[in-house]
Amino acid sequence: MRPYLGAEVSLIAIGVTLIAGVYLVAVLDRVLGAAVAGSPIRTRLFLAEPALSAAQLLIQGRRTTERPDAAGWVFAPALFLGLAAVALAMVPLAPDLVVADPATGFVVFSAAIAFVMIAVFLHGWSPNSPFALHGAYRYAAQALSFQIPFLLAMLATALPAESLSIVDIVRAQEPLWNVVRQPMGLPLYLIVGVAVSFWGPLNLPDGSDLADGTSVEDSGMARLLWKLARAAMLVAVAAMGAAGFLGGWFGPVLPGPVWVLLKTLLLLVVLVGSGHLLARVRIERFVTIAWAILIPLALLNVFVSGFFLL
Amino acid sequence: MIEGTLVDAAFWLFAIGSVVAGFRVFRTDSMVRAAFYLLASFAGVGGILVLLGAEFLGMVLILMMAGEMLVMAIVMVMFMMNPAGLNPMTMVHQNRTAAAAGLAAFVVLAAVGLLGPFPDHPVPEPAAATEELGIELLGDSMLVFQTAGVALLSTMIGAIVIAGRKGRYGIADDGSEEPPLQPDEEPVR
Repeated sequence: MRPYLGAEVSLIAIGVTLIAGVYLVAVLDRVLGAAVAGSPIRTRLFLAEPALSAAQLLIQGRRTTERPDAAGWVFAPALFLGLAAVALAMVPLAPDLVVADPATGFVVFSAAIAFVMIAVFLHGWSPNSPFALHGAYRYAAQALSFQIPFLLAMLATALPAESLSIVDIVRAQEPLWNVVRQPMGLPLYLIVGVAVSFWGPLNLPDGSDLADGTSVEDSGMARLLWKLARAAMLVAVAAMGAAGFLGGWFGPVLPGPVWVLLKTLLLLVVLVGSGHLLARVRIERFVTIAWAILIPLALLNVFVSGFFLL
Repeated sequence: MIEGTLVDAAFWLFAIGSVVAGFRVFRTDSMVRAAFYLLASFAGVGGILVLLGAEFLGMVLILMMAGEMLVMAIVMVMFMMNPAGLNPMTMVHQNRTAAAAGLAAFVVLAAVGLLGPFPDHPVPEPAAATEELGIELLGDSMLVFQTAGVALLSTMIGAIVIAGRKGRYGIADDGSEEPPLQPDEEPVR
């Protein structure tokens, strides 16, 4: 059994990271949006706005639909937030500073990502509403297409470590970070990461072309929770990218955990910025690209990485 | 001591949760709900596998089931006349045969569980267990698994070719249909 943080410390650490990370994503989204649009960056407004809109959602009355699956509708955002917490719990801040480091951390993270499709499908299916259901089907197609390239891109990072533990995967990057060793890995991971948390160009299930898709019928607390969960998943994807490809806690001068946070922030800027710089991709095109281009590239990445290790 | 109690509590949680969710699969009135209850049941079994020291197998079971149950739910909805799977419909049929088969399977499995000999080895470390599994998959049992893998892959490719837009009898959008059995007959509709 490897060393774990205590249960209380872990809960607090995960909670604080999720809340701070989610707030950061909301502020980053506004700052990058203003920067891309060339409008002034109004620091105080941008800092206050997420809290204000959260407060507004909290006091909003609840709407419902005709004959929804009430249990599933309530459960979906909670499941999504829980999955983000599980995914984030796998990311080490330092060799001995990690909430949980099971020998199969990679598989646990992948299982959390795989369950996102259950959460999103349930969220879109349960309100008994056409646009929401349409979003749910879109995410099912999207998720089944990104699942394989995502697993393969992450799997390549486990090859030099010869271990599925995330701490071992980071440790194996001491001589050379995976972003250099496997140049295809990080771009693949980021494309798929945008798809996992359906952000920016791949926000197909909750896209504005479907009037918010799976969350079209959400109101008040449920809508707030769903938004929180989406941003939390984005934070988890960025943090795992920092651990898997950018060498985690390795870096000069600054202490390890600071490096992890800085690298996570860098990837968050890329992920959130993609929403302001790239146009939305149609689902048909994404599915074709995923199966015809991303999977072969990811396989090539695994083979090349394996070849250089032999 | 406290850890042992927590493990016991987790076992009962997963075990009872799995059985209740498995029962709900047949009592619910929607295909999508049935698929999600089945998924919950499998996730509980995966949790028990993790508790038994088969960490990799348990987590992979949970990982694989998510995608499989979603595909199953969608395919079932596609084959129903019930557009979203929300309208109530009964999930059981051939009740007597099913009850007999279920009871027989339960008796056989329970007999194996109660009477069969079980190995009495200490549980290996999860990392070692994963390594052993990998050596088994790519060592002695490689031929079996690779044969099964190639067979499944070719089935999948075949299914995609048949179901694709450019199906067996021409482009689906152009209204392709099965050709007649005899050259001068009407096509089978």
